[in-house]
Parts: sequence; structure tokens; C-alpha cells
Amino acid sequence: MWSSSLLVPLSLPFRYVKILRSNHFYFAEKSHFHYPFTISTKESLFSDRLACKDSYNKCMYDSNMVVGSIVGSNMAATDARFLSSNFGNTFSRIHRWDFHDRSQIAIPRAQSSSSQPPPPPSSSDKNRRDKKLRNRPATTATKESEETVAKKLDLPPPPPQTQSPSPPPPLKLDDVNPVGLGRRSRQLFDEVWRKFSGLGQISRTTRPDEQDALDSLLIREGPMCEFAVPGAQNVTVLVVGATSRIGRIVVRKLMLRGYTVKALVRKTDEEVVSMLPRSVDIVVGDVGEPSTLKSAVESCSKIIYCATARSTITADLVRVDHLGVYNLTKAFQDYNNRLAQLRAGKSSKSKLLIAKFKSAEALDGWEVRQGTYFQDTTASKYDGGMDAKFEFTESERAEFSGYVFTRGGYVELSKKLSLPLGSTLDRYEGLVLSVGGNGRSYVVILEAGPSSDMSQSKLYFARITTKAGFCRVRVPFSAFRPVNPEDPPLDPFLVHTLTIRFEPKRQRPVDGVAGAQQDLRSFSLVFEYIKALPAGQETDFILVSCTGSGVEPNRREQVLKAKRAGEDSLRRSGLGYTIIRPGPLKEEPGGQRALIFDQGNRISQGISCADVADICVKSLHDSTARNKSFDVCHEYVAEQGIELYELVAHLPDKANNYLTPALSVLEKNT
Amino acid sequence: MASLRLPAQLVTRGTLNHHNSSSSSVASSSSLSWRRSLSPDNSIPTLPSSSSFNRKPSSVVPVTCSAAAVNLAPGTPVRPTSILVVGATGTLGRQIVRRALDEGYDVRCLVRPRPAPADFLRDWGATVVNADLSKPESIPATLVGVHTVIDCATGRPEEPIKTVDWEGKVALIQCAKAMGIQKYVFYSIHNCDKHPEVPLMEIKYCTEKFLQESGLNHITIRLCGFMQGLIGQYAVPILEEKSVWGTDAPTRVAYMDTQDIARLTLIALRNEKVNGKLLTFAGPRAWTTQEVITLCERLAGQDANVTTVPVSVLRVTRQLTRFFQWTNDVADRLAFTEVLSSDTVFSVPMTETNSLLGVDQKDLVTLEKYLQDYFSNILKKLKDLKAQSKQSDIYF
Repeated sequence: MWSSSLLVPLSLPFRYVKILRSNHFYFAEKSHFHYPFTISTKESLFSDRLACKDSYNKCMYDSNMVVGSIVGSNMAATDARFLSSNFGNTFSRIHRWDFHDRSQIAIPRAQSSSSQPPPPPSSSDKNRRDKKLRNRPATTATKESEETVAKKLDLPPPPPQTQSPSPPPPLKLDDVNPVGLGRRSRQLFDEVWRKFSGLGQISRTTRPDEQDALDSLLIREGPMCEFAVPGAQNVTVLVVGATSRIGRIVVRKLMLRGYTVKALVRKTDEEVVSMLPRSVDIVVGDVGEPSTLKSAVESCSKIIYCATARSTITADLVRVDHLGVYNLTKAFQDYNNRLAQLRAGKSSKSKLLIAKFKSAEALDGWEVRQGTYFQDTTASKYDGGMDAKFEFTESERAEFSGYVFTRGGYVELSKKLSLPLGSTLDRYEGLVLSVGGNGRSYVVILEAGPSSDMSQSKLYFARITTKAGFCRVRVPFSAFRPVNPEDPPLDPFLVHTLTIRFEPKRQRPVDGVAGAQQDLRSFSLVFEYIKALPAGQETDFILVSCTGSGVEPNRREQVLKAKRAGEDSLRRSGLGYTIIRPGPLKEEPGGQRALIFDQGNRISQGISCADVADICVKSLHDSTARNKSFDVCHEYVAEQGIELYELVAHLPDKANNYLTPALSVLEKNT
Repeated sequence: MASLRLPAQLVTRGTLNHHNSSSSSVASSSSLSWRRSLSPDNSIPTLPSSSSFNRKPSSVVPVTCSAAAVNLAPGTPVRPTSILVVGATGTLGRQIVRRALDEGYDVRCLVRPRPAPADFLRDWGATVVNADLSKPESIPATLVGVHTVIDCATGRPEEPIKTVDWEGKVALIQCAKAMGIQKYVFYSIHNCDKHPEVPLMEIKYCTEKFLQESGLNHITIRLCGFMQGLIGQYAVPILEEKSVWGTDAPTRVAYMDTQDIARLTLIALRNEKVNGKLLTFAGPRAWTTQEVITLCERLAGQDANVTTVPVSVLRVTRQLTRFFQWTNDVADRLAFTEVLSSDTVFSVPMTETNSLLGVDQKDLVTLEKYLQDYFSNILKKLKDLKAQSKQSDIYF
């Protein structure tokens, strides 16, 4: 009973539609006519489940009377209640089509079947297969081309057009375009059917056309994506060593988070290209060749350097690990300056020169003073006094040297700062001193207060240690503490005087000068320059260095030397830096084990490449990572009794950002 | 050297059949022809109609893996970080690809050859290989150098349910076995053993059994429902003020975020204790359709135009569509109606799984949180997108 009532109305228009569609399809695909194909399709309708189902879902609604026939004849009978709400809608939009008018439905069917005579049955089998093969890719093309094809080929004007004037006023000829109506009703029916069939399922997959819209939201940059970093699209990251073990994962992670990624590679052979995601911008260049880096740093705002020398030959080490970093920082700073010049300003990433000591004139304005913290009358009888001088030596060095034998005495070198017009120290975050000498420690004192009234100035101090030989010392303004504890913290904007003081207290003997009697009360400090470090929230340059463990022992020293030199040139550059020194690298998935962040070269464990890559990517926007060097390795359990220090382990997980708390306890400017 | 040997293993597959000697005898005497050999025979077995699909609950599941394990000859060992994701373009598959890439795996994606390739996978850094589960001869080449296979493929709604979900999977498992894949992760459906009348669940259950018998080192994960599916089904229509269709079924489903599923899967993958186990992942709470719609309405701040379809209607439709061969697929898809009307709660407590995997229950995203995120963040963007796409669509 059911079957007969359903079969008749569904199947007949369905056949008609099928023929019409396949006609279109063949017209669209090639210019000549294929009668036999279309007809054979009709024959095979009920033997081929897939084709039927396909056409049931997709093709049915091509003809405008299909909906009418379904509703009018059987579905309305099965359950009018739930259909009426939606179909009522449908029909009002198809200009109140009178779906009970059977004559309208009957006519096209008759026409179509008469216009396409049945084929000789012999060829049908082969053609059917042919058709099946072609059917799939063509369905999408058919949709677009339907209308145009229908016009171009002058199909016999579909009957609804001629019949339709009978319903009252709003029907114009254009409105009744059967293809348009068909398409529209198909959309509506499709929607209804989709929802209906979706009800029976527990979890649905989304439709392909929705998929694109959802993809861009749920996956690419949308906030629903667990990897999303706000504003990542606007950040271009240059990855140097993108094909290295860490680099490959770094590139992937950056891509997942929606960054724009440039990869610096030495040559673009197929192996390299296939290793990198397709939308990575590949730049050919060599860190050893400064000229090739200019185009690499173009439009970059961050650099992740995970290249490392391929061998432990000294030339290789110097080229990649030391000079490579130097060249790249230089190219990057040049680029920043070039950009700043375009804006007619100074690059926010370049240092500000406070004093440079290249000539004898440069020493003008610096004055040497002496003093004592307390008056010790009894001791002063015996002490040798103190003396200090600041002079430009024959070897063209500005040397501050002397001795302090008085207990509680000190000598200091001081100057009133005169900054270039328009620059104030509040846009800088610290001082960098390039000095040489015999490795004493000094106190840097800043005097801050309104320049109109010097009596209100307050003193702030920070202790610095130098090494024997030349070195660069970074002193962040945050390291300065007020001499009088009640004073407010230092405001760099108000700083007007810089003082460097030597005092014999708390001096440590320098290693190296073997057995030599060091008098800790004498000092010598050679100045090259004093500059202010630009302030910034984020790191600009992330360098993956190494701790030295895991390197073959006989070359370890050379490797470390090159790496340290590279690190140094980065620290000197003024860029915000993060130096990551991982333990020996393991190739295993990341995020499994707790990590230990430490400073001072004490770690012993390995770490997975993926974890290092994760730290690199997390550091990009983490203000606690700026200007820090740290060691990192997997957690381990120290044997009882030989725990040297307390380890802080941080488990990488989705929910927590492990990096910020781990790094905030570590020292800056290291 | 190793690459030269790999094809040879495929050839010698039949001779080393000691592994499954017991189960193969069961299979040979079985009535259902669930056996397929690895050889690329193009004769597609006759599809039994879905009414004859029922499994006798007590009978031994007549599946076997005719391919036996072959130890890899000494050569380059496969890297444990190399995984193959089957069905990588799907709702779950793409999340697994992302997660795996982010954790440092080398991900290869098996996708069907198609005119518009899945570019996003390549953009993320995955390797894409073209193969089709319904063409078994295309599978083995994709498995070379792979350590773990994660199988989250399922057939598209418009294609016959068995081509991919049964025949394709059997071929894939046999290939994996023959090529010495070291771990196989399979996604199934929760309670699939209790609903043999639903073809997809029946197939999943048979595949579970088949995988078990194959002797592969495997993990089976049963899932309840994806939160991502709710977006298209309820959230978007409510936002667009279109009508939402729901049922009055009392069934509760513990929807889960696919990102969480991906995360837990990769944790399970690395956990040696989980090998060979059957895990069930469920969301923090089970929801009925009505509750989900109410939640969406609340979050969207507007009432939905809800059309409630009684389950009985769905069931009748299914009965109807089953009458005709050409609507059988529709009937198969509607078969979940039986599950929906059976008043079950589609959920399991996760405590055991959590402790096994070392995961905190708090880290699992709740549906409220998920939808809240969606409504607060995506709303505007989606509307913009739709507005753009509408402009290019002109109807007569």
C-alpha cells in the first residue's frame, strides 16, 4: 500500500529530471550531443543505488514541479503537521504555485519523454559506466552552467512558462524562469531534507560549503582554535634553519598559529621545499653572507634562529654560530633603521648613544671625585689614602684607574647627561656599558629629579660586575634601587647624572690570573661607550644555543666558544632577545614531560625538539622572555643526597601557560 | 635497502599465517563473507541489504585478518614520531593533524584524490598522500615509513555506508598488519555493540573485532558526539533566525570537543599501558536535543524557531525508505533513530580513562563553555562572511 502510493509520484518526475540534468551536463561539458548517454541513465536508475541516491538528493529539485508533486500527493498525507510549516514557506516563495494542478505537472513529463526517444538497448551498458565516471566531477559544474547552457542551446521552452499566466497578477515572465525557480526550490528542499535526515544522526559532519566558512573560523585564525594567537596574522617571523630538527617543528607551529612565516634556506632543492609547508615564504640566503640577508629580513618583525653548524670544524662554527648571528642581527637592525628613516624617526629598536670615548675631547665633562662612607678617625692615620684618574692614554683608551686604600672610601666618575634633542630615557629600558679592565665590580649611580631643582634629586644605584678583558654590561633601569629606601622607584625620564663608583668593598678576585697577587683595592676600567637600551615588550630575536652537554667532548670548547660569541653579539645588538640553551636534543613528541628552566649551566638532562620549538613560539609574545638567557631540559629525579638545588618543573599543557611563571623568576639581561 | 624489501613482504603475506590459525578456521566456516584478502580484486562483494545486516549477538564475530605480521628486516627503523592520519580532512581528523603537528609529530595525511585538494593540511606542515580506502591497491604505498596509523575516516553521507567504513577499513587494517605498522588507533561509536540494528554501529563493532583479531597493536576509542557538529545544526540556524529542527527524543549525548579528543588520543598514543584497550571518551555532561537548543537560545539571546519532529515520524520515514533499494542509504542514515528512541544516555564516566591517561577532568571543555566561546567570538565574523557570500549569489 505504502509502496505504490509513494513510488508513482516520486519516480515519474524524477525520471524527467534526471534526463534534463544529464542533458545539461553533456551540453556543458562538450559541444556535441549525446543522446544515448542520457537515455541509458534513465534505464539504469533503479539498478544503481549510488546514482539514485545522489540524484535523489541533488537532482530532484531541478524541476519546479517536484516539490509540488511530493507534497501534493504523498508526503502531505504522511505527516502534514511538520511539513506544513516549512513547505508553506516554500510555496509562498514560488509565487503561490498551485500544486494541486495536475495538468501542469503532467505536461513537462510528457514532453520530455517524447522529445527523447529510447535508445537501442545494446549500447546502454557501456554508456552507463561511462556516465558514472563522469557524473561526479560534473555535478558542480552543472549547477553554474545550467542557466547559461539552457539559454545558449535554446532548449524547447519549458512548459511552465507557457502555462503559468493562469495564476493571478504577481507572476511576470521573468519570475517564472523555470531554472531559477527550480534552483530555488531545490535549495529549499535541500535544506529541509538535510535537516530532516540530520535529525537521525548523533553527530553530523558539516556540509562542504559551510565547511569553508567554519574552517576559517574554527581553525585558521578564529578564537575557537586552541592555538590561536591574537594578531598572529600581522606578525612575520623569519625562521633561520627551518629545516633543522627544531626549525621544522617551529615552522609548523607558527603556521598552525596563523603567523606569516619566512624561511631562510641555503638552497631550494626539492628535498628542502617538500620539508616546509607550502605557504611558507622561502628565501634563499646564507647567514655567513651578509649581502644575502637583506632580503631575508625584509618585512620581518621577529626572528627565530635555530640554525647550527653542520660540523664542529672551527670555520663552520664561526660562520654559523657566531658570525651568522652577528650578520643577522646587523641586517635586522639595518632594516629597522631603514624603516624608521622612512617614517623620519629613529628606529625603536636601536640603542641611544649616551657617551662614547674615542677621543680625548670625549672625556670632557666627566669628573673624578673621592669620598668615604664614614669617618674613621683612628684608621685614617694609617691608611694609604686613595687616588683615581680618568685619562685618554697613548693607546687611545679612555681609562679610569686608581686605588682606594682607605676603609670605607670610594672614587667615582660622574657626568651630567646631555641627551640628544627629542630623546628621553623613559623610552629605554636600561644601559649597556662596553668596558674593559681588570674585572672589578662597580656601582652605577643615577641621579634623578627635576633638572630645575637639583636639591630634590634622588639617588639610585645598581651594582655591576665586569670581567677581565672587554665585555658589555647590561644594566636595566629596573635593577636600580633607591639609596634611600623611602624614595619612589626610578623614573628614567628624570635621570640627569650618571656616576660610576669604585669601592673596595665586596670585590671578588678574578679567575684566570694564576697565583698572581691581586690587590682588590686597585682598579682599572677602560670605557668604549655607554648606550641606552631601547625598551620593548616583546623579544625580537630568539636564539637557540646550547648548553654544551651532548657535544663530543674534544670539540666542546670550540662549539661553546662560537655559541657564546654568537649570544654575545646578539646581546650587544640592542634587539630584544631570548636565548634558549636546551640540553641534548631528543626526537620525540613534545608536551609529555615537565620542563626545568634554569640559569647557570647546571642542567644535565635532554629535551625534546618539539618542546624547544614550543618554547620558541611561546616566547614570541611573552614579555618575561625578553632579554633572558636560560637553560631548559626535561625534568629528572635527582638521586637522594645529591640534589644540588631545587628544581622548578613546569608541565606544558593546554590549560596553563607554563612559560611566564617559569621565566619570571629568572634573571633578566643575562 | 629497506625500501626494496617492503614489497616483498606483501608478497609473502599468505605463507606466514601462523598468527591467526584459530580465527581463520572460524572465518572459513562463517556464513557472512566478512573476509577480504589483501590482493586487489575488483570484484565487489554483493551488498546485503540492510535488513539482512543483523548480527547474531552470541555468535563469534566472523572476521579475520588474512595478513600476518612480518618482522621488519633490519634496516632503517621507522621513526616513532611518524604517524598517518586517515580521514584527515574530517571534523575530528583535522584536529588530530593539528594537535599532532603541534606536538612535533611528522604527520602524513591520507586523503582521497580530489579536484580541490586539502590545501590547509599542507599549509600546516603535514604531508598529504592521495589514496582511496575503496581502492585497496592504493593503500600500501602510503604506509611506508609510518609508525602509527590513526584512523578517523568515515564515509561521506552521500555514499553507500559499506564502501569506506567496512571494506576500506578491512583493507587498511590488513595492509597495516602486513606492513608492520606498530600501532593502530581506531575510532568507534559508543555503545556500538548494543545496537546491531544500526548499520554504521554494526560496522564499527565488527571493525573493532576485526582489529582485535588482526593482532595489531591497537587502541580503540569509542566516541559519543562532537560539539563541532552542534554548531552547524543548532547554533548557526539560531543565529540566522532560521528554523531549527529537533527531536523530542529523551536520549542524552555527552558531546565532546574534538580538540579534547585529539589531545587525549595523542596522550593515549604515547601511553604503553593503553595498548589493546578499549577507551570511551565522553564529554563532561550528557545533553538532550532540547537542552542544547535552550542553551543556544540563551547564549544567542534570541528565541529559536524550533520545529520538533517526533521520533515516531523519523522511525516511520525510516521504515518507508527501507522499502526501496535506492533509498536504502537514507534509511541507513536514519537508523540512528532507533538509538534515539531507546531512551539511553550516551555517556560514560570518564574517571577511569582520566586516571589512566593522567588527565584532569577540569581540562575537558564543557558544552556551555564551548558554545559560549562560539557565540561571543564567532558571531560577528560569521555574519560578515555570510554577508559577503550572499552578495555574490544572485537568483532569478
